[in-house]
Amino acid sequence: MGLASVNTASEGMQLCIFDLRRGQQEGQELDKILFFFPADLPFATQLSVIGLSEGLITFTRIFSPDAACEVIEAERHSHVFYEAESDIWMVMVVDKSKESKAACQVDALRKVLKEVHSLFVLFHGTMRSMLEKETSGGLIRSHLYPFITDYLSGCGDLNLTCNFWADFLIGRKLQLPSFHDCLMERGTVQMLTVGREAAIEVQSLVKVLECSAGTTSCYSLVLFQDLLVSTTLSPDDTISLFTYAVLRLTPHALSSGATSWSYLQRTNAGSQVPALSTITNSGSVSDNIYRSQNNCQVKRPLHHNRWFRGNDGFLASDIWGTDNGSQTSVTPIVYLQLTEERMYLCAYQHKSLTIILLVPVSSILNGEQGLSLVKQQVLENASLKMLMVEEKLSKGWGGENAYHVSGYRYLLVDDERVSRASPPAKVMTLAKESLLALSKLREEVNLEKKRAKCSSKLEICVRAKNGAWVIARTSRGKELYMVLEKASETLLYAADSVEKFSNRYCSGVFSLD
Amino acid sequence: MKERNTTSTLKRILVNCSSQAKEYGGCVAKKVPEVERDMCLKEFLALKNCMQNVCLTSVFCYIKNFSMSANASSSQLTVGLSGSGGLSHAYVQYPPLKCNLPGSRGLYYDDANKLLLSPTSDQVFSWKTVPFSPHVAATADYINEGPVLSIRYSLDAKSIAVHRSNQEIQFFQRETRETFTHMCKSESESILGFFWTDCPVCDLVVVKTSGLDLLTVSFTSKSVNLVETKKLSVNWYVYTHGSRLVLLASGMQCKTLTGFQLSSVGIVRLPRFEMVMAKSDANSKPVLAAEDVFIITVYGRIYCLQIDRVAMQLHSYRFYRDAVVQQGSLPMFSSKISVSVVDNVLLVHQVDARVSILYDIFEDSRAPISAPLPLLLRGLPQSHTGRPVNVGESLDRNSSNHELMFYGDDWTFLVPDLICDVASKSVWKIHLDLEVISSSSSEVPSNLEFLQRRKLEASKTKQLCLAITRAFILERRPVTMVAKAIDVLVSSYSHSVKTCSNLKETKVDEASASVGTNASNSSRSAKDESRVGVGDKSFNLSASDSDDQSREIDSRDLQKSGKENLLGAESSRGEVQSSSLHTQQLGLGNNQLNANNSERQDSQLTSPAISPDEMYSCVFVPVGEEIVGDPSYLVAIIVEFLRSTNSEKIKVRPNIYVFTIQLLVRYERFAELSLLIINKVLEPSKEVAMQLLESGHQNPQMRKLALDMLRQLSLHHDYVTLLVQDGCYLEALRYARKHKVTSVRPSLFLEAALASKDSQHLAAVLRFFSDFIAGFRNTPEYQDYFRILNEMNTGLAV
Repeated sequence: MGLASVNTASEGMQLCIFDLRRGQQEGQELDKILFFFPADLPFATQLSVIGLSEGLITFTRIFSPDAACEVIEAERHSHVFYEAESDIWMVMVVDKSKESKAACQVDALRKVLKEVHSLFVLFHGTMRSMLEKETSGGLIRSHLYPFITDYLSGCGDLNLTCNFWADFLIGRKLQLPSFHDCLMERGTVQMLTVGREAAIEVQSLVKVLECSAGTTSCYSLVLFQDLLVSTTLSPDDTISLFTYAVLRLTPHALSSGATSWSYLQRTNAGSQVPALSTITNSGSVSDNIYRSQNNCQVKRPLHHNRWFRGNDGFLASDIWGTDNGSQTSVTPIVYLQLTEERMYLCAYQHKSLTIILLVPVSSILNGEQGLSLVKQQVLENASLKMLMVEEKLSKGWGGENAYHVSGYRYLLVDDERVSRASPPAKVMTLAKESLLALSKLREEVNLEKKRAKCSSKLEICVRAKNGAWVIARTSRGKELYMVLEKASETLLYAADSVEKFSNRYCSGVFSLD
Repeated sequence: MKERNTTSTLKRILVNCSSQAKEYGGCVAKKVPEVERDMCLKEFLALKNCMQNVCLTSVFCYIKNFSMSANASSSQLTVGLSGSGGLSHAYVQYPPLKCNLPGSRGLYYDDANKLLLSPTSDQVFSWKTVPFSPHVAATADYINEGPVLSIRYSLDAKSIAVHRSNQEIQFFQRETRETFTHMCKSESESILGFFWTDCPVCDLVVVKTSGLDLLTVSFTSKSVNLVETKKLSVNWYVYTHGSRLVLLASGMQCKTLTGFQLSSVGIVRLPRFEMVMAKSDANSKPVLAAEDVFIITVYGRIYCLQIDRVAMQLHSYRFYRDAVVQQGSLPMFSSKISVSVVDNVLLVHQVDARVSILYDIFEDSRAPISAPLPLLLRGLPQSHTGRPVNVGESLDRNSSNHELMFYGDDWTFLVPDLICDVASKSVWKIHLDLEVISSSSSEVPSNLEFLQRRKLEASKTKQLCLAITRAFILERRPVTMVAKAIDVLVSSYSHSVKTCSNLKETKVDEASASVGTNASNSSRSAKDESRVGVGDKSFNLSASDSDDQSREIDSRDLQKSGKENLLGAESSRGEVQSSSLHTQQLGLGNNQLNANNSERQDSQLTSPAISPDEMYSCVFVPVGEEIVGDPSYLVAIIVEFLRSTNSEKIKVRPNIYVFTIQLLVRYERFAELSLLIINKVLEPSKEVAMQLLESGHQNPQMRKLALDMLRQLSLHHDYVTLLVQDGCYLEALRYARKHKVTSVRPSLFLEAALASKDSQHLAAVLRFFSDFIAGFRNTPEYQDYFRILNEMNTGLAV
């Protein structure tokens, strides 16, 4: 047991979640730990990592009570902090090895933490509420472990056992952001640009969906391919549900293995994916903690390849088990962040169109049976419209490279919620130097953003070692990052190119007045 | 057999309507013994509606019942109907037009001029029936004494032609009282009748047993000139001026018909065709009579209805230029049938059964649009309540002054919508009660479609449509259903908009056309071409009358074929079905237009089409006020409305967008709202941006969207002002410089700069304006802020 875990190489990355409200008495420190990766690290090491983090948090809170420590840059490590819920902290410790030197922006890492948390909350509710439900912490530990491992591990195997330990025994690469990802923004949605007519059709469909579900308080999310078309959810819920959909529900996700171009998916495709760590084994001491619950009851929403399209067009998954008596699988329930309302998640797919309908649990009286009635109603009322919308959207869609602008490699972020970027395949053509420079630039901009007031306009142009221009502009909450490898001549030329891009694709938002 | 049929129907009704029946019964039982008219009206109407719906599935059964009871006794009929509270789909309004004159020798109707004519010994009195008014005064003209078979005024109303005998027609000029007589040439033929025409080659058409004589009438030479003869043996003929079509019957059974259309674009001979007549047995050969054939014009199309007494069916035929196509049959429940057309709705009066059935033959459906009900008399002075009074009973009460029997033998139905009671010498005009018709229909979209096709009482119909739509939405019907209804309204509006421009055009042309016709006949042939032109233009008008898209396609062919035909080319055959039968409509159309024009003075409307603005103010706003709680249903309907207008390419005013924003903001549905804005479903405009700004207090995202919109709309002034408000005065300055916005007061910027307590910025702003605006240095503002700046600087130095 212990033997196998010796060289599990914590050298790559450590990730821990702990609750400051727990384990305050001497000798109960272990109680704080809700999650630690790698799990096979001795408790003493785990506690020392957490102890350091806790100390730093307490210290920095003296000066900045609202926003404590965000990052510590040590000689060989970076500690990235994220306060997921009040007093529940997620800390990621990343090695500054030669390979990943200056590799990851801290911000990108924090966004990973944020994404994990929001997905967890989506399916399980807040960690705090879970802790309140079961104060020993066993419940949350047993949930967190498979959840985060599922998230961090890229493409899954086809092992359908519900024993996640079996999965862990197989070598698996962790997916962490690297400088290659600096032309994408985690935690944002990518929108499909549609014309007015198509937009009206979509809206009309959304309204029909809402009305046919019978209750007014249901929500919907419409995706085309891996792009968002419409949402009626709050921005935060939209982002987490969109993230999940792209990870597991869209046609690309369902037919995983097919080449994908979405950032969330890309990770399984490219060979450039950095392997920060390899999980070979866990087992070990922490077994006692993490396996305290019956494993099979722990739902793993992020488990790979467990969704499939049913005969009626609705997506089904056995993750949540099957209904007693009938063969239908149980519909998952998700939590809305603001209201903490519990909703049934029904996903329907027609070709490239994915529709996610959230129906309040409280509005359905007899569970699965009532839900299938709703589904039937939706099909009756809206299936024609869905066909039409799909047709309209695919007619207007320019394919994977629809948003490619030749000569430019760009990332547009609007309000930290919506982003659009050059297609990954095009980004891959960039030289490493350009990407590294951009990565650095983005770090710079992030700092600047925090310092300055939101409304300021900002423009930075940097000449990378390879002669490429790396440019960032911000304006009223919108950010534009750009790499121009071929505009090598002058700064004037580069600025001109940006201006052109801004006028053409961003209706002049980034133009210098 | 009959008996059994009835019971089964009754049984069906009772089974289907048991709850309504119980309610009605309960209500009556409660009020007994004080039984009154119209008590429990609501319950009764529910029951009636239910029964009718059951019966409508097979109209036949209902009518059977009716005719049986009618046959039994009229009192029974009254009992059967009076309880209905006097609701009916069609009615006549009291008082009628009275044509009672001493010494009158009968009543004649001139359908070309819409005149009722009553000759006395040496005079003829005429009453205009369009517009219909019971108080219209008679006009008198002098004619010589003599027998009168029929009288018709010429189309220019300058002369009168009187059919005196089988051989003789006498002409009178009204002004000069000149007169002359036209006699038949040979003794072997006799004159069956005549009519005036606006056909370019002749003025008058005389139908004789030997065929048609086309004549021109000249008072200067006091003679008629024969232009052309169409040889044909004729037993009887039917003509309506509305269709310009004369049907000539020949053959032993009189069922071989030849048609000529004599319209302003020329004469078209229709292919000869045979009417369908069922035989009761092999030997009997029923003979078709003139009373058995009706020519009707509906939606600018010409149909012929023919009674087949043996089969008890009313066959319909539609006329095309080169074909006559049988269209199917309507059932007959009475041996005596008459038809009227009111507002393009066909009324088939089953005289013996004393009911009228309504058909809307716009599409090819032969289903009646409402239950068979009798015509009603409304506005009778006795019923002070203004309550409509029913047929049988009412007339007994009133019988002292007018012995009007509804559906009596004295009734003559005049083309298209008048009833003449020969005995009492009174004339009634048939009206439709659209409210009743639409309330008996549960299919709202098709009901709206029906209503949108009605032109006569446009403003009333429009209000009705709006009310129906409102109610439909308030009942929270499925969005898809409401969407259908909205589609109907929007496409009807779009059609009316498209044809409206045509209407204006044609009016101009019409004027020129009349000039053309009034001009002397000498250069007639030379004018043919210009006439064709007129015909074409006017044709568009008739297309506007009949909401039929295919018509517009037809019209082009028509223009071609019409021309060719006039030039005498026979080759135009076989092209398309469309024909000058449509073309003739232009004449009709013109008439209708005139009629509409006179109506327009009171209603200002020619079509019940509902504009987006009216949808907004009469449907969405009131519904928005009434709907409580979540507005998403209403928003769904507005989205459907936008979809509909978008597909019809109709512009929508921003007020509806603003309204939508208000709805969504009220319930904080910002996610949807921003999607609608980003995708331009709610099109950008200043109003929309301002509304968004207002909601910006609740959600900063909305304010951002508003700012973006202002910038994209190049509303520089507002944009700059808002930027300054947000404290981004430097950015605002840059923007102002770039777009040369000078309208924003410098003090705003200066105040903002001062508020930021940054002396450098203040200095920069001050400097900017002294460069940007000429003469700024001399304003007191500049002095003030210059002083403030100095103070700040000295303060800093200290």
